[in-house]
Amino acid sequence: MHGGKGGVFARIFGYIRFFFSTMDQSHRNKVTEVTEFEVKELENLFVLLLMGSFTGIPSPPSFVAAELLPHLEHEIKVLNERAKNSFDSLADMASLLDID
Amino acid sequence: MKTIFFSGKGGVGKSTLASAVAWQLMEAGNRVLAVSFDPAHNLGDIFHTKLSHRKKRFKKTNLFLQETDLEQSANEYIEANMSLLNEVYSYMQPFNMDSYFNVLKYSPGVEEYAAITAMEKLFREEQENYDYIVIDTPPTGLTLRILALPKITVAWIDRLVKLRKQILEKRYTIHKLSGKYSDKGTKLAYLESEDTVMRKLLDMRARYQNVQNWLAGDKNSICLVFNPDYLSLRESQRLMTGVKDLDLPMHTVYHNKLDNPNSDIAQKVEHDLLKGRSDVTIERVPNMAEPEPTCYIMDKNLIQTFQENK
Repeated sequence: MHGGKGGVFARIFGYIRFFFSTMDQSHRNKVTEVTEFEVKELENLFVLLLMGSFTGIPSPPSFVAAELLPHLEHEIKVLNERAKNSFDSLADMASLLDID
Repeated sequence: MKTIFFSGKGGVGKSTLASAVAWQLMEAGNRVLAVSFDPAHNLGDIFHTKLSHRKKRFKKTNLFLQETDLEQSANEYIEANMSLLNEVYSYMQPFNMDSYFNVLKYSPGVEEYAAITAMEKLFREEQENYDYIVIDTPPTGLTLRILALPKITVAWIDRLVKLRKQILEKRYTIHKLSGKYSDKGTKLAYLESEDTVMRKLLDMRARYQNVQNWLAGDKNSICLVFNPDYLSLRESQRLMTGVKDLDLPMHTVYHNKLDNPNSDIAQKVEHDLLKGRSDVTIERVPNMAEPEPTCYIMDKNLIQTFQENK
């Protein structure tokens, strides 16, 4: 028989390795997705805190915000995105937790 | 170098006493810089000379005079930030969004920021050049806000740094899990040393902490000037409480414009103001009825307390 016993074991071992690596990748993707969600929440909070005077929450002296403003393009985009989807934040959470 | 702040209600004689102290310190052999941070400057009027934001040597003596232009400092700060904002958000120019950035100059706190930035520059650059810097401050409200600013700013920056650290840690986790972390092609920093926002925050923190350390340190004195009247008393009490709350040193108070007709009220005002403050030295300065301020011929020795602490 071509390959013999060793070939069968190698194929089985390959399948097992493939199974675990797929599972590992899937877990990694899931954790990445959850962490990305968390990081976006923190970035949103960071800009909200920094520019609190626009939303009526206590804020640091305005020159701290003014000095950081040129470097916050990404965080401001996140803030806008969050503001746009704020009416449907439950859907965001449900999609993250795979609830249909 | 030592710094001496003169504070108090408007019109109590802060500028005159600051000028007299600066003059006497110079006469005692020190190199002195007298700076006015009061937007309604009087220093030039007192010394009968025209001053600007540049230092001017007074009649070939070791006394130098300067009137800080807070509006100009505020404009310089706004312009520096505006050019950076316009550079980064250049795509907003077709919508005239850049004109909205102009309103920054009217945002609350810019005047205090300009004052504290000018002070920080003064402490940093002039440390080696003078034995004393005497600072004439604006009236109570603005002075308290200026003195409180470094402490408040450091407290806020600490909170922002903590949050930013969390963001960077999470970004680092994502980088470890998926190999990269970017926003539509733009690589996002996950290390503190590479993150511009974190670097800016830490730089700002260091700057304000230095100013706070200087203000609260033993090389700084905040002097209060008050008059024998109840309005001056109430405002001086607020200033003393404010300075105590900020943990800043106030060791000398000047009871200014004293004369015989107001001695009863003067005793009462002094008693009320210094109740429970055995750590404060009081200097009584008689009312000077001369037709013009003659700070540099004042007989009274006003500088003993500073020279003892030198």
